[in-house]
Amino acid sequence: MRALERARADYPLSLHGVGLGLGSAEGIDRDHLARVKRAISRFEPAQVSEHACWGQAGGEYFNDLLPLPYTDEAVELLARQVGEAQDALGTRLLIENVSAYVAFEHSHLHEWEFLASVAEISDCGLLLDVNNVYVSSKNLGIDAHRFIEGMPLDAIGEIHLAGHTRNGSVLIDDHGSAVCEDVWQLYRHAISRFGAVPTLIEWDTNLPALSTLVAESQRADRMLGELRGLAA
Amino acid sequence: MASLRDLQASFAAALREDSAECAVTPRENLSIYRNNAAINFRTALGLSYPVLRRRVGDDYFRQLAVQYRERHPSRSGDLHWVGRDFAAFLAEHLQGTEYAWLADLARLEWSREQAAVAVTHTTVGAEVLSRFAPEQLEQLKFSLQPSLRLHASDFPIFTIWAANQVDNAPPVDQSLAGECGMVRARADGVEVRPLAPAVFSYLSALSAGAPLGEAVSVAGLDQHALVHALGFVFQEALVCGVAI
Repeated sequence: MRALERARADYPLSLHGVGLGLGSAEGIDRDHLARVKRAISRFEPAQVSEHACWGQAGGEYFNDLLPLPYTDEAVELLARQVGEAQDALGTRLLIENVSAYVAFEHSHLHEWEFLASVAEISDCGLLLDVNNVYVSSKNLGIDAHRFIEGMPLDAIGEIHLAGHTRNGSVLIDDHGSAVCEDVWQLYRHAISRFGAVPTLIEWDTNLPALSTLVAESQRADRMLGELRGLAA
Repeated sequence: MASLRDLQASFAAALREDSAECAVTPRENLSIYRNNAAINFRTALGLSYPVLRRRVGDDYFRQLAVQYRERHPSRSGDLHWVGRDFAAFLAEHLQGTEYAWLADLARLEWSREQAAVAVTHTTVGAEVLSRFAPEQLEQLKFSLQPSLRLHASDFPIFTIWAANQVDNAPPVDQSLAGECGMVRARADGVEVRPLAPAVFSYLSALSAGAPLGEAVSVAGLDQHALVHALGFVFQEALVCGVAI
């Protein structure tokens, strides 16, 4: 907490939640919502984000980012609960696309259509995780470029990049290695479409030397710089 | 068409039981979510109980985590709380065995977790006592730091905790006398500290809301010990308020 307060003194914070379960049909975790509200009061982050996922059923929490079926009912529920969370927290949320390993047979919307509808109804922003787009596209046979082109132009408030691992034919999002070349190219595509959006390298397992992490961050900076050069 | 609630219930059932029906593809990838849930739970539990995990070893800790999760699945979106019932589970699970002391060690470690996230109130110094007449001192009630937790065990749990701050520490002799002490948050981290039984009784009484006179009597403190004990709570910055 004290380390965070020191960082907060010099840098704006982006508070990134994983526990609210905003798409849980049995409702969001109110106790956790109250704790997030206290964290927001204490640290006054510049941005607050969560995921387009669910996390509990029958009173049991799985503490994971479980995928939603992309249906009208799920759009309506997620948008309503995002709205409730935004009202309770007193801030606009950015909602992130998750890495998926399975797809519901009931889905009849594309994930980008689903997210765009949720953003429109709840007036939230979106957080585009480019590695998650890549992982889901490989696992579920989705066109990653079409995903990025389908995301609404004016809603993307933050971009995440990360590494993943391969387990047989499945890619697993694990935030434990360098961003792969394909994801960097997708990122270039994303910022050419959405502009110089604040970008975070997520690397929170198998931590490397700081210099490795800084080099990843500098590569993102260079790509954003090139974009600005083109725009000038 | 199945409702969202039904779809999530069937997904959850398939995470608990491989044979449950669930309309997702590719179905075999459900095992990734099943493993994630188990690993996230076990990892969080291990972070809350590092000394216990060191003492029992990774393999036995993994078994305990599986059995504990079956009885006490996560009830919060915040993994911090998964260990809330672990001490009670261990007390029942290990009752009558030579490992019964692990439950008391778990209580101590959970207090440490709680102290780490407890709010810290502004403390008051001993000069606050000058606001009261000498004859009022016995009736004073103290509000203590919310992070303070007090523990008494039939086992030497504070010695065990201190000895196991490094890997591969030799076992502590279980026949040593029981211990009591406190856990509390400080500016530089959480302190785990054994206390003399009289100081422990006195702090326990104050913490339970007893007035100073009663706490002193319960702890059997004489005049000299009282001065020391009164000084202790202020020197340790444990007092947030004093009132009649």
